[in-house]
Amino acid sequence: MAYGASATAHDAHEHIPTGWRRWLYSTNHKDIGTMYMVLAMIGGVVGGAMSWFIRLELAVPGIQYIDDFQFYNVLVTAHGLIMVFFVVMPALIGGFGNWIVPLMIGAPDMAFPRMNNISFWLLAAALILLVTAALIGGGPGTGWTVYPPLSNAEYHPGPAVDFAILSLHLAGASSLLGAINFITTILNMRAPGMTLHRMPLFVWSILVTAFLLLLAMPVLAGALTMLLTDRNFGTSFFDAAGGGDPILWQHLFWFFGHPEVYIMILPGFGVISQVVSTFSRKPVFGYLGMAYAMVSIGVIGFIVWAHHMYTVGLDVDTRAYFVAATLVIAVPTGIKIFSWIATMWGGSIRFDTPMLWAMGFIALFVVGGVTGLVLANAGVNTAVHDTYYVVAHFHYVLSLGAVFSIFTAFYYWIGKMTGRQYPETLGRIHFWLTFVSVNLLFFPMHFLGLQGMPRRIPDYADAYAGWNLVSSFGALLTALATVLFFYIVYRTFTAGEKVAANPWGEGATTLEWTVESPAPFHTHEEIPAMGRRQPAE
Amino acid sequence: MANARRRNGLIAGALFVVAGGMVGMAFAAVPLYQLFCQVTGYGGTPRIGVSEKPVAAGDRTITVRFDANVNSTLPWKFRPAQKEMTVRLGETVLAHFVARNVSAEPIVGTATFNVTPFKAGPYFSKVECFCFTEQSLDPGQEVAMPVSFYVDPEIHADPGTREIRTITLSYTFFRAVGDPGGTGKGAAGTDQNLLSTDKGSTRLAIAVGSIGNRIGKR
Repeated sequence: MAYGASATAHDAHEHIPTGWRRWLYSTNHKDIGTMYMVLAMIGGVVGGAMSWFIRLELAVPGIQYIDDFQFYNVLVTAHGLIMVFFVVMPALIGGFGNWIVPLMIGAPDMAFPRMNNISFWLLAAALILLVTAALIGGGPGTGWTVYPPLSNAEYHPGPAVDFAILSLHLAGASSLLGAINFITTILNMRAPGMTLHRMPLFVWSILVTAFLLLLAMPVLAGALTMLLTDRNFGTSFFDAAGGGDPILWQHLFWFFGHPEVYIMILPGFGVISQVVSTFSRKPVFGYLGMAYAMVSIGVIGFIVWAHHMYTVGLDVDTRAYFVAATLVIAVPTGIKIFSWIATMWGGSIRFDTPMLWAMGFIALFVVGGVTGLVLANAGVNTAVHDTYYVVAHFHYVLSLGAVFSIFTAFYYWIGKMTGRQYPETLGRIHFWLTFVSVNLLFFPMHFLGLQGMPRRIPDYADAYAGWNLVSSFGALLTALATVLFFYIVYRTFTAGEKVAANPWGEGATTLEWTVESPAPFHTHEEIPAMGRRQPAE
Repeated sequence: MANARRRNGLIAGALFVVAGGMVGMAFAAVPLYQLFCQVTGYGGTPRIGVSEKPVAAGDRTITVRFDANVNSTLPWKFRPAQKEMTVRLGETVLAHFVARNVSAEPIVGTATFNVTPFKAGPYFSKVECFCFTEQSLDPGQEVAMPVSFYVDPEIHADPGTREIRTITLSYTFFRAVGDPGGTGKGAAGTDQNLLSTDKGSTRLAIAVGSIGNRIGKR
């Protein structure tokens, strides 16, 4: 790579900006990554608080705390949007992606450091807009899917939905700029000798994710613009009275929305691959298969969107196609699951905290994947459409999948980021507490859904009382686990042991473990040569 | 360095073009989606105005039921003049709906339509219909709104639709978007047509159907 010669031109400017300038003006991938993670933590607390409030209301039948049902809808909407756009994406892509990708490919920074800065601050502005939306004009009670006609001016006359649309526009622009930055960095700035087929799987996962963002986000932006003009400027893209069709919104939204769920989980796949390999002290099983499984999940992800719309009146042949295409996704996903297990097989496994989280991820993601296969069938889906079964499914793949992978990455890389190791015992307690509590929280939702309890309703029939109470106890325990997590962050910063460049030993072969801990402000200014470290995994 | 910069710029430029293209595709989806429905009869969209094609009337018959709905913001009464008709396949027949403005102001309405089962859409052809244009009713005015249509005999040759014995033709009347006091969207008095790209494309599709006469206004 020609980039090698350039690094010395940057010379040894060990000048590190200080104070607010360091953060507001930051062009450093590590600082920007850190800011993304702080944003994700703030988003996680806000979004989490909303979900705990929802579970508080749902703990027993009847109306306890939320007698304004629009407010309940706003809680559900804001919880969903915040968790998607302001927790999972900034943590995995903006946070760990920014921090780790340049380190892993031997690049001194991202390709466009200033664009990186604007990506972050656009997202921060988007979060402020979204919270503003929830506080004005009755709030957006549309669900994260913002379906018209509910989101039309007729049913949401205030400015709340407009604010939410603008927030999503900004978040989309942020992701789009970030995606372009990642693709350019990964394609152009790899260390000499690191071919695409020798890149660590985490880098592969970010590359595929960035392409999904690049293709999906503009479609959301287009659809949101149509909705905005429908609401404010008299167009009727989605208004039947003017010749439009609300179903068109669903097609456009889910053409974005389905790739979006892979955008949230693919970086997690990358993290799990690194961690399973490190703690099994073996290269990952079937490296190329793993990489191309992610590519094919990304490709197939674009042609299955209507499986979210089985009940809109698609004809039977169309539904048959979307059922078949959706089921096909199980094949590359199965390749990944079995390859992780095969990596562990015969390995010299260390059950440190990151490995516990990774194994927890695999177990729980399989549960979510299996219920996904159930839901993929149009016939079954018609029965459980919009019930808690769906809620259970997507929380198993996201709340227990993507979020577990965030914690995996946190415990795996925190030593590299801060130079201090997390407290091992507390980390394990955090894992087991979370593992038990989230299962207590979400598993009963399968039963509730199969019994027919509908989503997005603040009250329910008495028959559903038992499992709802169990679920709410799970939510309470999850809140305790979250407090414990923040205590662990505090302990890591104040009392964590100093760590060497590579605290994980021989299993950790990727380039980020060759720089000292904490990773200095400028890294890889001399481009590392890959030599025969082969494969990268 | 300059070389690497240039390559970074090239890749980023190409990616921006891709992103811009996807925004374009999202907007292209609007007319394409409607065209797709018109051409394939998707979602029960009937075919429009293909009366030139002579269709042999056979002996077989099919029952057509009529369904009329009014959006809650439109103070009209709207009902079919006949509940159902038995029609010979390929025969062009005329049916009527009756609409009455029960408010004290003139109102412009527009109707959307489809047929169920959806798969019958491609075989259900409307020759002329009041739904092709907006309808204006004075206070208290009642009009009969005609629709002429035929059912393509091919419907019983296609194994996917062979079993259909009943087709329901459904209309829903809405207050027209440009009508003052309508759904509250847009500022009254602005030129809706300039902004209403979507409606424009619908009109285009209807113009292709070569029917533009206002039937309801006497």
